[in-house]
Parts: sequence; C-alpha cells; structure tokens
Amino acid sequence: MSSTTKPSTRAVVTAPAATQSISARKSRIDPLYYFFLFPALAIFTLAVTLPAVLGFVYSFTNSIGFGDFQFIGIRNFIAVFQDEGVLSAYGFTLGFALVTVIVVNAVAFLLALGLTSRVRFRAALRTVFVIPMVVSGIVIAFVFQYLFSNSLPLLGEGMGIEPLATSILANPDLAWLAIVFVTAWQSIPSAMLIYIAGLLTVPAEVYEASSIDGATPWHNLRHITLPLVAGYAVINMVLGFKNYLNTYDIIVGLTDGGPGVATRSVAMSIFRGFEGGDYAYQMANAVVFFLISIVIALIQLRFTRGKGGIAA
Amino acid sequence: MLPPLTSNGTGVSRRTFLAAAGGALTAFGLAGCAPGGTRPTVTFHQSKPEAVPYFRDLAAKFSASQDRVRVLHDMATNLSASFVRSSPPDLGCLNYNLEMARFMERGALSDLSDLPAAASIRDDVLDLTNWYPTYAGRTSVIPYSVMAASVIYNRRIFEQNGLAVPTTWDELIEVCEVLKAAGITPIYGTFRDPWTIAQGLFDYTVGGMVNVRDFYKKMHEIGENVGPDSEVSFQKTMLEPVKRMVQLTTYINPDASSRGYGDGNTAMAQGQAAMYFQGPWAFGEIEKAGTDVDLGTFPLPMTSDPADLKVRVNIDLSLWVPEVANAQEGARAFLQYLMQPEIQNSYNAEFLGFGTSKDAPAVTDPRIVEMQKYYDQGRFYMGASQFIPNSIPAANYFQSIIGGADAESTLRRMDADWARLAFRA
Repeated sequence: MSSTTKPSTRAVVTAPAATQSISARKSRIDPLYYFFLFPALAIFTLAVTLPAVLGFVYSFTNSIGFGDFQFIGIRNFIAVFQDEGVLSAYGFTLGFALVTVIVVNAVAFLLALGLTSRVRFRAALRTVFVIPMVVSGIVIAFVFQYLFSNSLPLLGEGMGIEPLATSILANPDLAWLAIVFVTAWQSIPSAMLIYIAGLLTVPAEVYEASSIDGATPWHNLRHITLPLVAGYAVINMVLGFKNYLNTYDIIVGLTDGGPGVATRSVAMSIFRGFEGGDYAYQMANAVVFFLISIVIALIQLRFTRGKGGIAA
Repeated sequence: MLPPLTSNGTGVSRRTFLAAAGGALTAFGLAGCAPGGTRPTVTFHQSKPEAVPYFRDLAAKFSASQDRVRVLHDMATNLSASFVRSSPPDLGCLNYNLEMARFMERGALSDLSDLPAAASIRDDVLDLTNWYPTYAGRTSVIPYSVMAASVIYNRRIFEQNGLAVPTTWDELIEVCEVLKAAGITPIYGTFRDPWTIAQGLFDYTVGGMVNVRDFYKKMHEIGENVGPDSEVSFQKTMLEPVKRMVQLTTYINPDASSRGYGDGNTAMAQGQAAMYFQGPWAFGEIEKAGTDVDLGTFPLPMTSDPADLKVRVNIDLSLWVPEVANAQEGARAFLQYLMQPEIQNSYNAEFLGFGTSKDAPAVTDPRIVEMQKYYDQGRFYMGASQFIPNSIPAANYFQSIIGGADAESTLRRMDADWARLAFRA
C-alpha cells in the first residue's frame, strides 16, 4: 500500500490483504483459531442467540415472563398488526432512522473532509469532535432536555424569536427533530472516525494526477474521493440505520415517548410493554421488528453491492 | 518491570510470577464465595428512595437486637426478574399496585393471615387490596402505610383573596376565576412528566365522579368486547371527567408543557401558584426548598354535592413474603417487628402517611390533617390510572389529550388497547 498511510490505519488497510494471503496459502485451518473463537462464540450464543430463540418461542404463548402460560398460536402476531400504537411506533422509528442516517453521514463526511485537510490544530480538533461519543447516551439526553426545556425558550424570549420561546419537546409535530438532533450529535463522531479512516486510504498520487489534469476541488470530491470512500459510507449507513432503528435511551431522556405517544420508538414499546407484563406480545413485536431490520439490511446491501470494495 | 522470561539462578521467572499472581487473585475471588457469618440472611427489599435511610436503620437495629437472623436491605433488584429466577427477596416492602397484584394473582406470595399483624389491619384498608385481582382465600399482603392525596393549596393565597376551600364543582371554578383575575396562577401544571397528569388531574377528576372499583370490575368482565356499545368503556364513562379535566387546564401556567415534577415543587415552595395536584410525597420535596409556605389539602370537588367528596388513596407500602422465599421464618419475624405500633406509627408520622391498623393514631401534620376525616369515614378511592396495565401508555395518552388531542378519539384508542390486551390474555 502507499507509504502515506498513517500507522493508525494500517490495521484497517492490511487486514484484507493479510487474510487473502492466508487463505491462499493454507487449505487447512489451524485448530488454534477454533480455540480463540470458541469463548466468544459460546458467550454470544448463551447471551444473545438463546434468549432470542426463547423469545421467539414465547411469542406464541401468553406468558408474562414467569409462572404458567399457554400456547395461543399466532394471536399475538395478529394483534401486533392491528395495534395502532405499534404501527405508529414503526412509522416514527423508520422515518426517524432514515432522516438521522442522512444527517449523520452528511455532517460526518464534511467534518472528516475538514479534519483530513491541512487545517491547524488538527489533532486537537479531532479530539474535541470525538468527545460526544464517549459520554453516555442518557446523560446527553437529560442535559439536552434541560437545554431544550429551559435554556432555549429563555433565549428565545430574550431575543424576541417567537417560535423558539416554547419548548420544541412539547410540540408533538416537532419533538422528533430534537431527537434527531441529539442522536446525530452523539453518533457523528463515530461515523466521522470511519470516514477519516477512509479518506486517509486514498493515495496522494491520485490527487496529484488529477491536479496535473487540471481538476478543481469539486471534481476531486465528486470523481475521486466519493467513489473511493463509498465502501466506508456503506458501513456507516448499514450500521447507522440498524442503530437508529434501536433508538431508546435518548428518547427516554428527552421526551419519554411524549408528548403523548408522538416519539415512542419500537424499542421503547417493546421494553415498556414487557415491563408491564405484556411479555409474550412484545416478543411477537420483537420478532416482527427483527425480521424488518434484516429485510432493511439486505435491501441496503443489495443496493450498494459493487459500489464499494468492502461490502461487495 | 516484569521478571525475565526464564529463570537464571536466583531470580523468579516471569511464568512463575504470573502463575503466583493468578493463583492469588483466584483465591481472593473464591474467598467471596464463602458463606458469610453464622446467621441466615433475610433479604429485605424496599426501594422507596425517601425512606431508604429510615429502613436501613431499622434493619440494622433488628439485626443487632437478636441473633437468629441478619437482615440485608436490598434496593436494586429487579423484582420481575428475581421471581422468574425463583430467588425473590424474603420480605418485600413496596407500593402495592397492579404490577404487584400480578405476583399475588399467580399465588407467588405466601399467606400471612395467621400472623397477629394481619388481624390488626382496618377492614376497609385491607379491602383495598381486593380491588385488584387476588388469589382467593389468602392474605397475601399486609398494608403498612396508606398515602392520601388530594389538591394541595396555598393557604395564604386563599386567605389573601378571600377564598374558602371549595366543596362543589361550581365553587371550584369560581375560585379559579377569582385567582385568574387577580393574576395568580390557579393551578400549577407539570405536563412534561406524564405520571403527574395521571396521578393528579386524571385520578382526581375521575375519582370524584366515577365509581372506580365497579368500573374496572365491569371492564374486566367485558374484556375484549369493550367498545362504544359496551356497558362501560373509557370513551363513555371517562368522557365527562376528562372533559372537565381539560376545562381545568385553562387555569394552568402557560409553560406547563415544559415543566416537570421538580419545577412544580419549586414553584409551590415559592408560592407561585395557588393549587397543585400532587400527593403528600411532594411535601418532602417542597420542604427542601426551605421556604416558609403554608400548605394544606382538600379533595377535588367534581359534583354539586359535598357528600361526594373523596380523597385518593394508595397503599404506599405493603409487606409481603414470597412463597419460594428461603428465610420464611426470619422474614415473618422482621415483619412482626416492623408492624409494632411504635415503629409503624413513627414511620407514618415522619413520612406523612396514614396508619393502616385499627388503632392507628390520627395524623397531626397540618398539611394533611384536613384529609383525616375522609380517611376515617372511609370516603376514599384508589386512582383510576393505577388499574391500567403498563403496556397501555395511559399517562402518555392523557398528556396528548391535555396537549390538544381529541379526548374522545384518544379514549377510543384506550378502549381498543384494552380490548387487544384482553384478546391475547
């Protein structure tokens, strides 16, 4: 690879090259790899797969999580599709995830562009921009809830800006914007780091060649940078969408599903539901949610196949 | 620095050093598994935040006063999970509500009727536990402390405006109008926290007009057939109280939708509003502001007949021992200790609760003393919002009604949720 790659990205860059040579060299896998794999696989199966399978089984019962229960077939699933609350939660969650993915990726990419160019105090700036990622989601949510409920309205009153004077969190039509904002605020650093890694893999010679051919910075961006970091964009979008579908802690801190049930996400419905003893029904909801998430991920991967070396 | 990899003479090799360190750490870890002490432990679960230090002291005193059992005060266990694992706490001291009733209904709580403490409870208070579905033939819980809640009002503001405590709906509206005209916020709303709407505005308005117990009994019978044509339903029975609730919100502070429980307590402590729809637990919070404010309570009048006045109660603390508890004897001994009149009465005096036993003394705190006569005469009800399972986000629905959503369609949605819940039960 190019000599301009930084040491921190060498792991990302050389891993694909290394696995190719290993599988080409050896046809038999060293049993040591199985030993390394086994503990993680065992824990994952016990802690994630087994409960998921149990949950799937329970979704055909009327269990409340403990005690006696009976099998009731697909009644829970029928009820899920007729439940107005569940359907509106899906609508809100999907719309929210879509908007947040776009916002996060756009801003993260621009920030990454800025932080890989020759600005001063690059290292310090990168540290500053990474800070939102290390603070816990619920803490961020409560702090922003205070800002939106108290500080911003006070500012709006003082400056005479009428729309700002009422808390955005109390508006059923606009509260979701606040949630998008706070989620983006927390998620942009990790997306930005991935984009920085991607931008640093673009060899400098390519830019030199294009400048010889008289390309403008806009041309560089559109025809060189974007295609070459497309793979990283795919990673960000697939992972990001999955994460935003599961949004929970930020909503709890900001609006608690309110005002009314305007910002109740699917994860919230599931969790609050089985806290209230509605265990089997919410397991059915969770199964449906799982299937929808898989379908969305498959659609994403299908659309982006071939557009980036990493996802193909 | 770590020792060298292999030993060369007198030095300790790295392997030996690491093996020894690993062995020592394992020994420390395993030491924690050894049985602690000679007395069996009674796990006592009590999580009401304001009362935690109080009960922690009681547990310590009991452990020191005898040598048969040791009481461990636990606050953090997730109860549902512990029941699923068949390792619940030995003695529970918790709010008695629909979620707890679920445990009782399935026979998870042992029968306490043979204890002398059970016989000392007032009949109408013990009957409150029957409002929820019960396990027949058992005394599964012993009520320990009842909280009575009604409208908190600022006595000085009422005096300064020449107002008397209203006893009918029309008088209440008049009081609000007078206050509004004088530029004082009649009612302080904290609508950012949905539970304050459910336990305050909704429960008080419904409880003053609807027979809560009969309503839910019929709702359980009707089950999945609840709708606009059923005998009772949210959209039919609750429509009038909810409409009046919305009418009351014309008298609240304009920023209520972005104010929470804490803001409400601070505002009342500073005398910024005349009335506050909260329970006695708020008094402790209001006290913390350290202001000199004179508060009292009166039941919310919803009809034109003062005889309909009732206060909202809930069994704030109740004692229970699970069937599968390990230390049954120790748990019952501690239960008896807690039920001693000196201990129970001093708890209720300090935390503004009403005693549950037949010879419980009358409350003396001026803030809640006005509710004593209603409690004595049995003129109380349990809050309607406390009978709706958590899977129906009732508090959020009330929040949207207050925020402007159509009351009838929201109540219709609650009926649909109830029917769906009954369908798959």
